[in-house]
Amino acid sequence: MESSDQYNFSIFSPRNKHGRKNRNVIFSMLAIWAVAVFGFQFLLRAIEKPTPEKALTVFESEWPAVTGGNEEMADYQAILTSLLMVKGKNTVATGDQQLLSEAISTVTFRMVPKSLNTQVMEKVAALELMHADIAALKGQEYMDLKFRIQDASSGLIGMLEPYTGYGTTSLEAPILAASLRKDYPASLTEASLSRLPDIMKLYLTHNQSVLTDTKFLGFPFHYFYTAVFLLVLFVVLCIVYNRLIEWRLNREGIVE
Amino acid sequence: MQREMKKLYFTFILLLSGAISLNAQNLTQLEGSFKTGPAIILIAILVTFVLVGIFFRAKDPTDYYAAGRSISKVGSGMAIASNWMSAASVLGMAGMMYGFGYNGLAYVVGWTGGYVLLLILMAAQIRKYGKYTAPDFIGDRFYSRDLRIVSAIFTILISFAYCVGQFGGIGLMFKWILGLNYSWAVIIGSSVVLLYTLISGMIGATKNMQIQYVIIVTSFMLPVFILAFKFDYFWLLPQIGYGAAVTDIVQGMPAPNISDGMVLLNAYSHNFSIVPSPEYAMPWDPSTGTTFFQWMAICFSLMVGTAGLPHVIQRFYVVPKITDARWSVVWGLFFISLVYWTAPAYATFGKILSSNPEVGVLAKDAIVVYTAQLGGVNSLIVGLLAAGAVSAAFSTVSGLLVAGASAFSHDLYVKVINPASTPKQQLKIARWGTVLMAVLVTVVALMKLGLIAQLVSVAFSMAACTIFPLFLLGIWWSGANRAGAKAGLFAGSLVTFIALTYFIVGLSGGSLPGQAFISYWLNVWYFAWFGAPLAIVVNIIVSLLTKPTPLEIKKFLAEQVHN
Repeated sequence: MESSDQYNFSIFSPRNKHGRKNRNVIFSMLAIWAVAVFGFQFLLRAIEKPTPEKALTVFESEWPAVTGGNEEMADYQAILTSLLMVKGKNTVATGDQQLLSEAISTVTFRMVPKSLNTQVMEKVAALELMHADIAALKGQEYMDLKFRIQDASSGLIGMLEPYTGYGTTSLEAPILAASLRKDYPASLTEASLSRLPDIMKLYLTHNQSVLTDTKFLGFPFHYFYTAVFLLVLFVVLCIVYNRLIEWRLNREGIVE
Repeated sequence: MQREMKKLYFTFILLLSGAISLNAQNLTQLEGSFKTGPAIILIAILVTFVLVGIFFRAKDPTDYYAAGRSISKVGSGMAIASNWMSAASVLGMAGMMYGFGYNGLAYVVGWTGGYVLLLILMAAQIRKYGKYTAPDFIGDRFYSRDLRIVSAIFTILISFAYCVGQFGGIGLMFKWILGLNYSWAVIIGSSVVLLYTLISGMIGATKNMQIQYVIIVTSFMLPVFILAFKFDYFWLLPQIGYGAAVTDIVQGMPAPNISDGMVLLNAYSHNFSIVPSPEYAMPWDPSTGTTFFQWMAICFSLMVGTAGLPHVIQRFYVVPKITDARWSVVWGLFFISLVYWTAPAYATFGKILSSNPEVGVLAKDAIVVYTAQLGGVNSLIVGLLAAGAVSAAFSTVSGLLVAGASAFSHDLYVKVINPASTPKQQLKIARWGTVLMAVLVTVVALMKLGLIAQLVSVAFSMAACTIFPLFLLGIWWSGANRAGAKAGLFAGSLVTFIALTYFIVGLSGGSLPGQAFISYWLNVWYFAWFGAPLAIVVNIIVSLLTKPTPLEIKKFLAEQVHN
């Protein structure tokens, strides 16, 4: 009589030599797969260090001066650049963007002579109006307004260039033009801007290590490893597994 | 048949020529207008799919469920890839990387790494077991009608959850091309995909999937070559060439960016430049709101879910030989990887091209198309790209609807409700099941519950918690018995229920005890990191404590599956 136990098996205890060899192949593949995918991420996590961007270092060194009342034009210039470096990131949350815009406006209007304030304010107001209108437009009307906004931005930037130092073709110029607001806090010490140092720290600190700073084929190494190499490895693992299984089936004369 | 195919081909070419001669307006408005050229390309492709569906339509239930087991391994690999590469792959993945940087790569790795598990743990064994559907296998292996019913219901739920993201993607692309609002776009797109699935069944779908794969790959890759060339990166292999762009994003690119005496600009004449943005590439960057744990949990859940998705597992029944089941995984993975190597390039170029604040906030799920538009790629090629994205969603949806309908008609109706039903009745039930499911999915897709990739990942976690443990233990441990399977399935279902409940309550603005804790640790996008291992452990413990597996099941496994 057949016993139920004679057909017992598990992946850990196969029933025969063929099964044991299969198991070894499977476990080897799984080990390579797991270490390659998860092991690397653990390594990345283990060696990373919170690393500030240059803009944060500048901001933190200038912030006491501009909020302490002994600021100079150069301090505002440095603060403005670091604020724009954050505002220019398109991952910034909406609420944080609002706050950054206000801070940028405050700093910019501090740098512009009072005699020019009204003119600048008019241009900023016109731009705000155009931005509000464009959402409802389609086709040619949309494109026309798009180009009018670009012209207005260029005009504004040109007017501010002697004080901010950003020419119309600079990286910072379009960010500045899009950030300026009619309504803004009178000074950086106002309570509404108290979160600013935390926001700057959040967006300007990154987890970096030798694996993220090393370049490979143009990529940061860790990015290449995850986005390109792991996929190659998966395909190779699958091919090797199939070849191994077929080779063993042939060798042992097993027909599936 | 060849003559019919030729007619089909010439119809397609004729329509395409029409589109080219019309030469649609330059696509500088990202949204909101009707786009003639892309619309004609989309219609031509859809007509082709429907015609192919008619020519290769299912004639009986065997054809409908398993394509008559007449598909080659390369063909099956293409079908796997096409079936797999959904709107989540073509649209959603780049959107995740665009929005969440390195954490988006968890989707790339999760959706490919799962194939290694699928190959070494499942593919050949499933084919050897010789059942048509996942509930068939579970009901038979665990000698339980109840488990067959529950797993059939889960198969339908998984297919349903998966379809929601796809219908959302179809809606986004129809919206972009036709200039309609999202709701109408979803309704029209859903109707077309339903019509196509109904008249084709799986055999037509499998033929279509091969055509769809070619369209998806061609349309997806072409713009990246153009973008890499245009913006002076290594364009011969843009899947590597975009690496320098990633570094440029990390370090920042000053303006104006001049190459060969020319200033590099996007379609709006904004500088091709960007402020230093290391958050795009650095791991689990705090500013993206993502963490190391989430990266690992998403990756693990997607991998395990891949090996438990009924419509993916079902593909192994359509290959004629066991060795074909194995090689079809390899081919499938390779074909999938071609697209997955390319998707991050879209996110990368998109990041730079949309960096000017005047571009405004872009919908992450449509970033692939926006990137091509902002890069000034010819409008017809952008149209082809959008049509390719629709193809991707169509191919997956058709497979999912067939899997869902199979579970409904084959596993519930035939095996439980009416075993004496005729093949004609079965086919009728399958088709009505498809209609019902499509209508319900459309209703949920209209609610816009999340990003495409996130919505799809719910299906993966669900499959990982319910189907995967049953397959894994059912194949690899003779001791796994009915009681253990039921207990394991209950545990997995419970975790699924908790995650979904907290998600729905959170979405509606409510709060349950431990809302923040559960929403983070058992988030609906990745709850399988806990649910799948729990279901396996519970299954093992209960199996060890209860009546052993019957002799005939053990004997069948030992002799047929593992001999």
